[in-house]
Amino acid sequence: MKAIEVSHLIKKFGSLTALNDISFSVGEGETFGFLGPNGAGKTTTIRILTGVSRPTSGTATIFGHDVEHDTIAARQSVGIVSENSNVYDDLTAWQNLMFSAELYHVGRKEREEKATELLKKFELYDRSNDKVHGFSKGMKRRLTLAMGMVNSPRLIFLDEPTSGLDVQSNLIIREVVSDLVRAGVTVFLTTHNIEEANVMCDRVAIINKGNIVAIDAPESLKKTIQSVQSIEVAFDRNSTDHLDELSHLPMVNDVRKAGDKFKIFTEFPSEVIDVLVAYAHLHNLKILSITTLGPSLEDVFVRLTGLQRAGDGIHAID
Amino acid sequence: MSGAWAIAKKDMRIYYLKPNIIVSGIMFPLFMFLSFAIGKNAPPGTLIPGLIAITLMFSASSIEPVSIPIERRVKTFERLLSAPISLYSLVSGESLSGFLYSLGIACLPLAIGVIVFHTPIVHALILAISMIFTAFCFATLGTLFAAYPTENVGEVMSMLNTVRLPLIFISGVFIPLSAMPVIGQMIALISPLTYGNDMIEYAYTGKSLFSPLLDIMMLIIFILIFQVTANYLYKKFNE
Ligand SMILES: Nc1ncnc2c1ncn2[C@@H]1O[C@H](COP(=O)(O)OP(=O)(O)O)[C@@H](O)[C@H]1O
Ligand SMILES: [Mg+2]
Repeated sequence: MKAIEVSHLIKKFGSLTALNDISFSVGEGETFGFLGPNGAGKTTTIRILTGVSRPTSGTATIFGHDVEHDTIAARQSVGIVSENSNVYDDLTAWQNLMFSAELYHVGRKEREEKATELLKKFELYDRSNDKVHGFSKGMKRRLTLAMGMVNSPRLIFLDEPTSGLDVQSNLIIREVVSDLVRAGVTVFLTTHNIEEANVMCDRVAIINKGNIVAIDAPESLKKTIQSVQSIEVAFDRNSTDHLDELSHLPMVNDVRKAGDKFKIFTEFPSEVIDVLVAYAHLHNLKILSITTLGPSLEDVFVRLTGLQRAGDGIHAID
Repeated sequence: MSGAWAIAKKDMRIYYLKPNIIVSGIMFPLFMFLSFAIGKNAPPGTLIPGLIAITLMFSASSIEPVSIPIERRVKTFERLLSAPISLYSLVSGESLSGFLYSLGIACLPLAIGVIVFHTPIVHALILAISMIFTAFCFATLGTLFAAYPTENVGEVMSMLNTVRLPLIFISGVFIPLSAMPVIGQMIALISPLTYGNDMIEYAYTGKSLFSPLLDIMMLIIFILIFQVTANYLYKKFNE
């Protein structure tokens, strides 16, 4: 049985189409990434899958339970970590965990053991009995994750779990997620961070403006991503004539003019730098500046959808 | 139901001591009472039943209209909405906390009556039952108003107060129904406070407008109406 099965999901908010007929499935034990910029529809998807929001049309099941009509059964073995650290500031870390466990009908002995284990895992154990309102952002985030795991879920939704966090919290969270994966838990993770999707996921769906643009394993995604690494170079004479010649240089995938610079896309930035130096030499050009740029989500979208850039509403975040 | 209890416990821990809840749940009925008591010639002890009734109304209906908008704002409400509990458990859990809160608070005027004014109680058991049903009725009313999908406490509170405040005057609490014009008496019939107050009055004096049985039936009908409407609204507003 699939952990998640989504079929032709459409969600409209008034005239805005937040999800435009998306379909995908996630196998048990899989780590599935939902990669997309702000406003892509990631959170909306999770809210529908957890029965908080109702789809305009289409269906979704969690372990075979319809999320709309068999909601409570669908939720029972699911953990939810929302993008806001929605913990109770006026309760202690321990009380937050107990409350979360009680909502999921976890027995007393079991929830106390689980909470202790999780507090240790997330390095919050010595703060167990402190009220949460003194916690740092990273600590609240870690507690939110612990609360999402206190019912020992078979499937966990992580909505941008590491976004905007300190390094230490990030490391702990990534470690815990790999533990979950090893334990066979299905993970549905949203992110706008390409690197995170690459490192953590078995398969990645790229979503933009409510459309799934591609679903792929990170290896092939990586190829796409690597192909959009780029070099920005400015010569002392920036004639557009170079555009064509540059695009025929070895290892160059694409060239675009960006202001007074050329943006050259390639899998092999350091080699192409050598090539460019040679090219400049040959044409008696001076290199005024040269920078390598990592892949941006925007470039990946452009690559995948063949969209042209400028003004189409895609915003790179990283 | 364990989910409902968990929600109620959480509310007790977090909201029972919040200043705005204390003001609207305790101070408000107290000041109302004092202003009426001072203007009246009746011995203050005879005002105790009415004070208990309005204290129950205000305190029971003050928790959810504060806690739910706050929780919408900080997104903890989403936890409750996404938990494997029925909407019915969620709504009753919310009402349960207001219910327990007001029973606790109403012990205050009860104790003042006994200790300070030596107000006699004719039917103690009926007093207990009347307080329980009145408390639950207004707790459910609070939950019902909190269904309005806002993150702003003030919005819910002002809607609620446009209903709660007039109820004091049309429910025979301080002005006996018999002293009111016919139209006022008609309106009183659609106020749950009329029946709660009437039954409490009966428990204290043995005299009342309706029979306690009718009072309790009316309170149950109001509770059912509020609960069903609340369930419907929480579902509806949850896009
Ligand atoms: N409750 C809502 N009412 C109206 N529009 C909404 C609501 N929730 C989300 N949206 C809109 O739907 C789109 C997708 O939002 P969301 O799923 O939160 O994106 P993401 O999580 O990928 O950043 C956005 O344009 C957002 O403004
Ligand atoms: Mg989001």
